[in-house]
Amino acid sequence: MNWRAELLAAWAVVVRNALMGMRNVFFFFELLFWPIVGVLSIGLMTRFLGLTAEQASFVLVGTLALSVINVCQLEVAYAMLLDVWSKSVKHQFMAPIGVRHLTTGAWLVGMVRGFVIFVLLSALGAWAFDFHVLAPGVGPAAVFLFGCFLTAWIVGVAVCALITLFGSRAEAFAWASVNLVLVLAGIYYPVSVLPGPVAVVAEAIPLTYFLDAYRAHFGFPSAFPAPITTGLLLSAVYAVLAHWAFRAAVERARQTGLLLKMSE
Amino acid sequence: MPPAVATGLAIDAREVTKTFRSGWLRRRETAALRGVSLAVERGAIFGLLGPNGAGKTTLLSILATLLVPDGGVARVLGLDVARDANALRRRLNMASGRPSFLWSLRVDEIIAFYGRLYGLSGRRLRRRVDALIEQYELGSHRRAQYSELSTGLKQRVALAKALVNDPELLFLDEPTLGLDPDVSVRVRRHIADLRREQGMTIVLTTHYMREADELCDEIGFIKGGRILAHGTPDALKRQIGLGDVVALRLEPRPAWLGEMSGVLRCTEADGWIECTVDDAEKRVPELLRALLAEGVEIRNLQVREPELEEVFVELAR
Ligand SMILES: Nc1ncnc2c1ncn2[C@@H]1O[C@H](COP(=O)(O)OP(=O)(O)O)[C@@H](O)[C@H]1O
Ligand SMILES: [Mg+2]
Repeated sequence: MNWRAELLAAWAVVVRNALMGMRNVFFFFELLFWPIVGVLSIGLMTRFLGLTAEQASFVLVGTLALSVINVCQLEVAYAMLLDVWSKSVKHQFMAPIGVRHLTTGAWLVGMVRGFVIFVLLSALGAWAFDFHVLAPGVGPAAVFLFGCFLTAWIVGVAVCALITLFGSRAEAFAWASVNLVLVLAGIYYPVSVLPGPVAVVAEAIPLTYFLDAYRAHFGFPSAFPAPITTGLLLSAVYAVLAHWAFRAAVERARQTGLLLKMSE
Repeated sequence: MPPAVATGLAIDAREVTKTFRSGWLRRRETAALRGVSLAVERGAIFGLLGPNGAGKTTLLSILATLLVPDGGVARVLGLDVARDANALRRRLNMASGRPSFLWSLRVDEIIAFYGRLYGLSGRRLRRRVDALIEQYELGSHRRAQYSELSTGLKQRVALAKALVNDPELLFLDEPTLGLDPDVSVRVRRHIADLRREQGMTIVLTTHYMREADELCDEIGFIKGGRILAHGTPDALKRQIGLGDVVALRLEPRPAWLGEMSGVLRCTEADGWIECTVDDAEKRVPELLRALLAEGVEIRNLQVREPELEEVFVELAR
């Protein structure tokens, strides 16, 4: 493997996504507006309901995770969406690159955006709701953030696969997918409150474990023996599966002609 | 079928077929290519000529690895389009006449983005981008966003992008579509230069006969997913047996012209009578003798070769 070429192709995608992100007001809005609205409304709700400091932290951790994942996964989905919208899909698949370059390049940009959101919301949480993300220490916070990034990567790559399989009609997945995570991974509640079969699904989602591990520092004992390791292992499996699906979708699009359809 | 050996062929396609299937409930099938065989020499300009929906873009896309054929074998630059796709991608590129790129990227950023995908970086990348911008006279638009460019400028960006990896084989899908005539002329001259100066093999599609006649060493007529005829423009004109066109202005117009031996058909437009004859050298003297004998006044006379347009009309029947 030629590492220089590998890095260069991913870097090309970094530059492209970053430039597009900086030039589009809508993208910028996305980065700020919804996350801030989310934290403010959820934070105020915890106050109205008279939750304890721990309970409020529990819920705000969820909001934080959701915002970071949403912003980051959307950026990964842009690896396909930008080209679908501009009808230039064929050019990047005519070049000698693989889907991994698209997904890692876009993920790097997504992590930068996600980190900005994380810092911003953390400051907002500390100032308005006395919620301190770094209270458990830098290590746990960093692991939690990375867990969010991994989840976002997997979701984003899966969205790319769906778009490549079904065309632009599938772009709704890019916005809907996060809500599925919200319900299943226990953003606002411990997964133990989910009914039996759904709880099984929740336990198959890596984010569940990263949330669990981080919340243990806010007074909610961990429900799993080795949450971080489990989360990382699951993430690795899903990341591979999602990439395999994306690759298969591209190959199928070369068969069906969708790659061309998305370029005209 | 004999194995395709390494030859001087840039493209060696045999019996390539492609059917598009669409629709979930009521499946619709479009047979876009029904067994296309094609050989293009290295360093040649090959023109695929045919009406809309003939299968030109489909064939080009298969050769450029964007589409997988259902059947047949296609070797491009000695590599199999299905098995060696990634190695092949480095060595070819394509531009189409209706280009589209990311709307808010600037001209130099678009070229640089694709340059990086093809492995260029640092000073080499900058030099390549600068050279292409200069070559396509995009200097004053270098920092303009793509969505603000005119059609002609977008086309130039597309050509610059297609040359960023210095391809051995360049596909141009309707490169002069929708361009002003003067711009088209320049694009054509440029295509000819690319081949002459860099020995690049170029395969272009067009539905303008003149373009194919002027530019191409060889032409393939494609219609309904089949190549109906191919050869040099001159050979094609002969092969179809169209003969020569004798255009006459006569007073009065004799009714018997079409019945003379060797006259294939006669049409009349704008006061000119155009007779297609099998062989001008033999028939023109006969025609003149007959006309003089009948006392018909010959005001003007022109003899010319048939245009590809006419060859095409004949084939498309
Ligand atoms: N991606 C596609 N999906 C479905 N049908 C297609 C696709 N591309 C082309 N076709 C169909 O295949 C036929 C050939 O199209 P095309 O190769 O684009 O023709 P041309 O480029 O000569 O105008 C047409 O009937 C067209 O509708
Ligand atoms: Mg076409």
